[in-house]
Amino acid sequence: MTAKRLRVIALLAISMVFLLAWAFPIIWSVLNSLKTDSDVLAYPPKLVFAPTWEAYRDVLFGSGSILPNLLSSVIISVGTTIVTMLMAVPAAYALARLRFRGKKFAGFYVLATQMLPPVGIIIPYFLVLRNIGWIDTYQGIILIYLSFSLPFAIWLLVSYFEDIPFEMEEAAYLDGASRLKTLWRIIIPQVRGGIAVTVVFVFLNAWNEFLFAVVLSGNTVRPVTVAMFNFVSVEQTLWAKLAAVSVLAMLPVVVLGVVAQKHIVKGLTVGAVKGGGRR
Amino acid sequence: MTSFKPTRRTLLKTGTAAAALATFGPGILRHASAQDADLAPYKSAQIDWQQVSGETITVAVIPASYFENLIALAPQFKSLTGIDVRFEKIPPAQIRQKSVIDLTSKTGTYATHAADPMYYALYAANKWVEPLDTYLNDKALTDQAWFKLDDIIPAWRSANGINGKLYGMPYDGEVTIQVYRKDLYDAKGLKPADTLEAYMSNAAALNTPNDRVWGAALRGVAGAGQNMYIYPSIFREFGGDWMKGGKLTVNGPEAEAALAWYVDIMKKYAPTAAANWNWPDIADAFSQGTVASYIDAHSSASVVNNPEKSKVIGKVAYARWPKGPSGKRTTSIWNWGFPINSALPEKKRKATWLFIQWAASAETQARTAHRFAGPTKRSGVNRTSVWKDPDYIKLMNGFGENFVEATMGALQDDTDVDWRPRVPQWPAIGDTMATAIQSALSGQATIKAALDDAQRRIEPMMRG
Repeated sequence: MTAKRLRVIALLAISMVFLLAWAFPIIWSVLNSLKTDSDVLAYPPKLVFAPTWEAYRDVLFGSGSILPNLLSSVIISVGTTIVTMLMAVPAAYALARLRFRGKKFAGFYVLATQMLPPVGIIIPYFLVLRNIGWIDTYQGIILIYLSFSLPFAIWLLVSYFEDIPFEMEEAAYLDGASRLKTLWRIIIPQVRGGIAVTVVFVFLNAWNEFLFAVVLSGNTVRPVTVAMFNFVSVEQTLWAKLAAVSVLAMLPVVVLGVVAQKHIVKGLTVGAVKGGGRR
Repeated sequence: MTSFKPTRRTLLKTGTAAAALATFGPGILRHASAQDADLAPYKSAQIDWQQVSGETITVAVIPASYFENLIALAPQFKSLTGIDVRFEKIPPAQIRQKSVIDLTSKTGTYATHAADPMYYALYAANKWVEPLDTYLNDKALTDQAWFKLDDIIPAWRSANGINGKLYGMPYDGEVTIQVYRKDLYDAKGLKPADTLEAYMSNAAALNTPNDRVWGAALRGVAGAGQNMYIYPSIFREFGGDWMKGGKLTVNGPEAEAALAWYVDIMKKYAPTAAANWNWPDIADAFSQGTVASYIDAHSSASVVNNPEKSKVIGKVAYARWPKGPSGKRTTSIWNWGFPINSALPEKKRKATWLFIQWAASAETQARTAHRFAGPTKRSGVNRTSVWKDPDYIKLMNGFGENFVEATMGALQDDTDVDWRPRVPQWPAIGDTMATAIQSALSGQATIKAALDDAQRRIEPMMRG
């Protein structure tokens, strides 16, 4: 009994240490976003201070407002997510269910696109977009984001589709349903959880993307990840404002995370036990 | 990093309120946002400013107050020339990447960009940018008597030149100088260091970590523009020569002595965290009163004098670099210059040159500095004549004792074109050296081992 309790306490303590290490940057950002620039630099760091919304007011409504950048991020992320899902669901279904020539190769190819380091393909992407006149446009950025979000989504969804018993589909065919109708009416409702997980991940990847955005965007399309960087200037780092923007940029992600948490946790355990009770 | 925000408080504290009044004049004080839009000073140049009217060019700059001031004046350029300028603000780390992509792919996206002086060797070797003498010598494009190229700080011009040809026109720049706490120095009867040895002993005398005051701080974080921005000065002061016998050498005896000095002062008298500091962190620490002295850009004066953050206003003074064992002072040279993208069609290249000529002219430099109606004034103007303008001097001396003298002295006498190895392979060499310096500082490698390793890595790069 005591041994068991000791073990629990030890485990808890270890978890707390990890939790603190992970949570620290977030807590630090939130605290700094509510400080004045001089409080940010104070030593010892002030835990008790007069909170101010000044940094938020500045970054939202000041001269360098990030509202247009937040809007840019929303358009890019939502656009990427919608297009990705429209294409990934049928593609994943096909890879999971259909028998066709080159299926193995197609499956491998989807995965292979993920093996290239992104830095290596920025310049070709830049040239392609430049030649079709899509630099600094939403369609340009979304097109490039599809190159990594689509393989990722397909790859994730295939495992969900594979887990659906074939008998279910057969039953629908016997009742006279077409393949498309079966997919829409029978299969998709069964993989709702998987789709939700994929949506969340695709959205998050697009929301947090920086590397491609900084090269392929310009004045018109400028997501918040790129705009945020301007608070680290050669003149000085504006810690409070930087923290305020970080917190604002985190918010949609946190909200989405909380809403979709149930699905995410389920989604990640799928495949751990084949055919396990995931729905 | 060259902004000065003379709010009422700083000015009163430093006793230059009267100077400010004289500078801005009552008319401008009433209409704080109104810029002097008189184009006559430009029209006195014997060129046709409207010759490529109707062109549009895109200019990439970094987010910084000195470029903000220029952007604020862009409508004047438009009415002078009929040329539209689109500005794109890109963070400093990415502007290099984006402009190199643009130049390699010859897409001509950016007519000009705020360029790193260390990149001209690469640009020129690939003919990505135009030699500017063609434009300077074209009487239809440049009125040399009006533009006065010689007035532009020579050190920055030579930093932007390759084999005597200018490739980028300096717009705003900096030099490194000693920044120190006069009150702490006075209390111990110390003088600003004249030699690196004295700098070390001053640091030792003032180093009292128990009272949260450290003797000195230099850039510690690894990077071609971070620790490799400070170390080259020390290296040169110890008598180091990057191109010994025509071969890039980084591990000679002078290098060992220089790196030893750097590691020594950082380990003994700088806050431990400084190993990971870049200059804004140093200036922040200094402004909180925890560092007695640092050597870094003169433009950091605006941060340590920022009334919203600084606790040391009125206690700051300046001096030139201490001399090294070679008897030399070597400051670092930095400026943001404007090159002309070779991939542009002729008309756009002309439009770009007119823009550069306008931005670098004495008139625009003054209008973006002491005559700027907004709150931030520049401390990095490119013209000797502006640095001699009493109004500008009064404004700059608000930063503290000896500011203008130290800056001008460093600019005139302490610069050294070969301060860093100017070769097309620089970006990679800079990174390699930065890593070596850091591994010596962190104790991962001995000084000799770190430098030998860097030499081994650099040799194949130079073979190309």
